[in-house]
Amino acid sequence: MTSRVQPETGGDTVVRVEHLVKRYGTVEAVRGIDFEVLRGEVFGFLGPNGAGKSTTIRCLMGLLRPTAGRVTAFGLDTWTHGVAARRRIAYLPGELRLPDRLTTLELVATVGRLRGTFDPRRRDGLADRLQLDVRRPLRDLSSGNRRKVALLLAFLADADLLVLDEPTNGLDPLIQHEFLALVREARAAGTTVFLSSHVLSEVQRAADRVAVLQVGRVIAVGTVAELRGRARQRIEAWFDASPPAAELLALTGVVDATVDGRRFAATLVGPIQPLVDLLARHPVASMLVEDPDLDDAFMDLYAAHSVDAGTGAARERP
Amino acid sequence: MNAAALELVALPVRALRRGMVWWSIGLASMIALTMAFWPAFKGSRVIQQGLDMVPPALVQAFGLQDFLSPEGYLRGNLYAILVPLLLVLAAVSATSSQTAGEEAAGRLELYLAQPVDRRWLFLGRGIAVVVAVSVISMAVLVAQVVSDSIVDVHVDIGRLASTVVLSGLLALLHAAIGFAIAGFRARPSLVLATGTVIAIAGYLIAALFPLSDVLAPWRHLSPWDWALGGDPLLHAAEPWRYAALIIPAAGLAVLGVGAFGRRDVAAA
Repeated sequence: MTSRVQPETGGDTVVRVEHLVKRYGTVEAVRGIDFEVLRGEVFGFLGPNGAGKSTTIRCLMGLLRPTAGRVTAFGLDTWTHGVAARRRIAYLPGELRLPDRLTTLELVATVGRLRGTFDPRRRDGLADRLQLDVRRPLRDLSSGNRRKVALLLAFLADADLLVLDEPTNGLDPLIQHEFLALVREARAAGTTVFLSSHVLSEVQRAADRVAVLQVGRVIAVGTVAELRGRARQRIEAWFDASPPAAELLALTGVVDATVDGRRFAATLVGPIQPLVDLLARHPVASMLVEDPDLDDAFMDLYAAHSVDAGTGAARERP
Repeated sequence: MNAAALELVALPVRALRRGMVWWSIGLASMIALTMAFWPAFKGSRVIQQGLDMVPPALVQAFGLQDFLSPEGYLRGNLYAILVPLLLVLAAVSATSSQTAGEEAAGRLELYLAQPVDRRWLFLGRGIAVVVAVSVISMAVLVAQVVSDSIVDVHVDIGRLASTVVLSGLLALLHAAIGFAIAGFRARPSLVLATGTVIAIAGYLIAALFPLSDVLAPWRHLSPWDWALGGDPLLHAAEPWRYAALIIPAAGLAVLGVGAFGRRDVAAA
């Protein structure tokens, strides 16, 4: 794990996870996952507790040795060339344990010496934005303020890749808002952000693309819009004449449909375009389409993948 | 050594600072108190008569030979058991806290996420323990020399220094056993227990095996025998005694560093 390897500079893939498997004894925390994080994007990594998010991230940070497969960052294997890879990565751990006796100032200086440099003006600017008193010992800080310290360290590093594991745990809404602003600024400056969270609204607001994990498997990867497109939507349409009931009920993805006089109501699963095309051919007086959010997409995805209790393997519902 | 490598040593040294001070004060106080009783012991017929009634083998086992000479008093009260054992405890507990303890508490993760080689980080913790034991040993030596001068005891400073150094190396050998274990597993209690139990077992072997003709040759298995078996307060210690402590300690340190570099870092 020497640092004499030159990082790869070309290519659009910043992180590549290939057939990653991680076992702890007989427990398989990650079951052969593949995905890529592209340069300059905010990549949301979604899943409930125990889905394998932190295990994947700890493999990315070179803290865990993959049982099979590999993780690369900037073209460097994060286990065999971790030092060179981490030179370009800043990390905010999910389980935050800080050295109690130090102050934030001392910790920032320590991490700065380990990384080789840090900018005191940027440190002060970030501390102001996060409303953090950098002179207090870390043992005196609340969990929210400790999380701010970790955010400060991550955003201070001026890294090409930010890996943030549950970054807003314990933060008040005001600081969560500031965090999202920092993420957007980092992205605008060309930084790639890997954002692991189980807070869907946060990922929905910040991420360009999302991977969804369930019991150690990736069950979906796509843009936020694509995932939202998969969500169930409640549709209502009022026609000037009798609705074309037979055609509507025959549409793929239409469930729970009711035709009541000139009103048609249904839940739509999947793309809306076929329905829009059908409606365009008939006199529609008004219509209502509820905007699906990532929450719905997430729940639908999880409902669609039953879990085999014996093996823990996710199975697609037919 | 660059700034990052220095920081990897400075961090655990700073963490051990308070412990170093308290261990130094404790040992120095114990030495000063022990030496304060020397004038009362010196030439005491009652104590000599008492010792004459103890079987010679037992006197030897507990380091009480020549108890009323300055060297015998120091050996019997301080350097046969107490000082080396306390140094072992200080070294093993420092190792446990700065390696397996910090890892099990999740406090290494923040540093290991930086562009540092984890083997250097682990080695830095071993070097910090060497620094801590050196500081405490130096405090022991200074306290002994100062106390000796106050109560008018004349012990060869070179031999005294040699005894303290050998005691410190004995402590570091046991710390290295804990360090190697911590390289494989983040279990602070296992590190502490193994280092301490091996130290006590080693002392018992060195002290009690000579009482039996059958077991006597096996006393050389004990690191206590390698360190203090030559009675370094009275006789100049042979160079092999230092080597016998340093070489296995270095080997165990290499083993621990190598193991830590190849395994998963424990999560909090």
